[in-house]
Amino acid sequence: MPTPAFFELVKQILSKPVTNLFPSKYAPASIKKFLKKGKINPPIKTPDKFRGKLIYEKDKCIGCGMCVRVCPSSAMELVGEPPKRKIKHYVSRCTFCAICTEVCPVKCLHMSDEFLLADFDKHSENLIVG
Amino acid sequence: METIMQIVFVPIGIASLGLILSLIFKGIDRRIAARFQARVGPPLVQPFRDIMKLMLKETIVPENCVRWVYESAPIIALVGSLMLLLYIPMGPFNAPLGNFGDLILVLYLFTIPSLAMVAGGFASGNPYATIGAQREMVMMMSYELPLAMLAAATAWKVTSFSIAKISSTVIWSTVGPLGLVGILLLLVVVLSVAPAELVKIPFDAPEAETEIAGGLLVDYSGRNLALFYLSDAVKSFAFASLIVALFFPFKLGTTIWGEFLWFLLKVLIVMIVSVTTVRVAAARLQIDNIAGYYWKPIALVSLAALALIAIDTAVVI
Amino acid sequence: MSKTVNIPIGPVHPALKEPVRFTIEVEGEKVVGADYEVGYVHRGIEWAGMRQNPIKTIHLSERICGICAFCHPLCFVQAIEEIGDVEVPERAEYIRVITAELERIHSHMLWAGVAAHEIGFDSILNLTWNIREKVMDIVEYITGNRVTYGMLQIGGVRRNITEKQYPKIREATQYYRELLDKIEDVFLRDPTIRMRSRDVGILTKKRALELCAVGPTARASGVPKDVRQDFPYIAYPDLDVKAIMPEEPIGDVYDRIFVRIREIGQSADIIEQCLDQMEPGPILAEQNVAKLLADLQNFEGEAVGRAEAPRGEVFHYVRMNKNEAPLSWKARAPTYNNVQTWPDMIVGEELADVPIIVASIDPCVSCTDRVTLIKDGKEEIVTGEQLHKLSVLKTKRVMRR
Repeated sequence: MPTPAFFELVKQILSKPVTNLFPSKYAPASIKKFLKKGKINPPIKTPDKFRGKLIYEKDKCIGCGMCVRVCPSSAMELVGEPPKRKIKHYVSRCTFCAICTEVCPVKCLHMSDEFLLADFDKHSENLIVG
Repeated sequence: METIMQIVFVPIGIASLGLILSLIFKGIDRRIAARFQARVGPPLVQPFRDIMKLMLKETIVPENCVRWVYESAPIIALVGSLMLLLYIPMGPFNAPLGNFGDLILVLYLFTIPSLAMVAGGFASGNPYATIGAQREMVMMMSYELPLAMLAAATAWKVTSFSIAKISSTVIWSTVGPLGLVGILLLLVVVLSVAPAELVKIPFDAPEAETEIAGGLLVDYSGRNLALFYLSDAVKSFAFASLIVALFFPFKLGTTIWGEFLWFLLKVLIVMIVSVTTVRVAAARLQIDNIAGYYWKPIALVSLAALALIAIDTAVVI
Repeated sequence: MSKTVNIPIGPVHPALKEPVRFTIEVEGEKVVGADYEVGYVHRGIEWAGMRQNPIKTIHLSERICGICAFCHPLCFVQAIEEIGDVEVPERAEYIRVITAELERIHSHMLWAGVAAHEIGFDSILNLTWNIREKVMDIVEYITGNRVTYGMLQIGGVRRNITEKQYPKIREATQYYRELLDKIEDVFLRDPTIRMRSRDVGILTKKRALELCAVGPTARASGVPKDVRQDFPYIAYPDLDVKAIMPEEPIGDVYDRIFVRIREIGQSADIIEQCLDQMEPGPILAEQNVAKLLADLQNFEGEAVGRAEAPRGEVFHYVRMNKNEAPLSWKARAPTYNNVQTWPDMIVGEELADVPIIVASIDPCVSCTDRVTLIKDGKEEIVTGEQLHKLSVLKTKRVMRR
């Protein structure tokens, strides 16, 4: 089968595989044992402009509600009454567009590089900001 | 007492050894295919896990199928493939039934798993399976002639259909230059029949995942599917062993276990050359192309090989 | 004896990535009749878009199609900008072109892999998707995300491409230009792929024109149709874009592979031209999103936005009437035109060729599908007159508000 594709494939068998393993070698039978000898493949590095979980500086927030108006997936909610009005952000709804960080007049919202956000409960503490 | 031992336990031992070996070989095949595609690939024990998983799953039987055919087809397929192992010598170990059957029987035993799949496909009553079964039959008819030529040519040379006899003579050393060309052509023929016999890409039209959704196997699940999976693995191993027995019966001259490992290595190489590299480096062919391929070039080449060997035999004698 | 059998393909089938149903009438292995049926997905994106402000809708329209995640919002944004006479800075237009072309490279590579998978060539699937990782990395490097870029804003783009980033982008375009020969070798000169794609699924030039095929499907049939060339938008007037066609178009699957592979090279060229011509300057007409939101409430009028997506022409119609939400928003994905060509291509071919023919137009069914109303569970044939009546009703509804 001396086709051009075949030579490409032979070249590939001689070089390193390009896929990376799942962050643990196999699904561990026992978590405790696994953590003891654990070789956890670290997650891949994120680029500079990566948009991850939102960071919210609650003290700076003036509660203007602009982020609530522009959020495309309605992941923001206003809580409390005017002078002390703050926001609550539900990460499970977030689409990571970062438009809220741009609209914020006091720049109290930022994107972090945290992306391992899987959880069993969409209202868990980890997934609610603010 | 000894005969009972031989009749009962030796076949069981060989069958289970064959099952384990063929699953390991399937694992190696998958791993190498993955490395061709720049992937890491599954661990070697993955086929065992697949079988285990399939055994645990629910076995669904479609409502409008012919139940007894549908349920017995996988068993017949697996038994047919395991029977093969009893007729083909595994390197230093002689086949337990080697004295009772010959090459022609083995070649017909190879069609039993395919026929069982065809029967199961028709019995399941699914339109995809029906198309797959039709394709499988067309394909079987196409590659039968080259295989018959293979049997005829080797028997012509060795003057016996017995596999034990064929594998004890090194066929390459018995011929003159003309016969050598003939045997080389024969080897090409049998290597190109292998992917079709084992229903692998580029000749996997009967199963064609992206066209007819698994074809013959579309309605099979759970235990039945696991049996087909096993029969496929065993059949690949048996076909590679047959090629080794016919064409590469070279001995190393070491201990019996050394010979056995040497035999396994030869089987592995044959399998990689004829199945793995072909299946990663080609697209699936249409059924009419497959039939054309086997009826025209391959049939001609096999006839030429037969003629060359016949002439050579006549000249030598 | 000729007996035909009806074979259903879909809505769930391993060859189809999205729900669409085919009824294929076969005689042996030969296809003698084919019909398709869309309407299995309804997402209500347009409905949602008409009930929220356009800034939200930009991100919603990105999600019409995961692969054309730049072309759909681009059309929408262009329409809004036309309504409100927003002047887009020049640098922003170039950045838009760069992102759109990167998207084209990644979409075509993805398609090439899927097409190889349809004909059972999984090694090529792995090979092309491996090559595609490079452009995904660049997209992530520029926009911060691999798939939904979040790059557009009304009046410009949200992220600048700094001088520091140029070398890495140039490196990627160079990588693709060098690889082009290899990709062509693997695809166009492979005997088995040639066997499966030459003279398969032919769409003649006449039928392509009649059925209004768009994008690579039309170009492979010899119709020089390319929005970038015919109605240049954003920065395309300053760039050298010509519709790519095979030298002797037959209109088969092979030609469609050819056109797409050549377009990868063309996109690499366009990106380099952009990097050369781009001058420093602002990237957004209105920095303050709050002010933009207030401005949007004064927009009135209607406009269309069109763009050449990797699959063909995307078309968005928007109508605003001094309200926060648009009064009407209609998005038309390129697959809407191209699905009409399916029966033409499939009839007369082998059953085994159906998946590759279906895949050859690069269908995006979910982007195309709109709701289908079925009354009392009965199928109904809508005549031209009834359709006209319905459209008059809709126009009246839009005008009244």
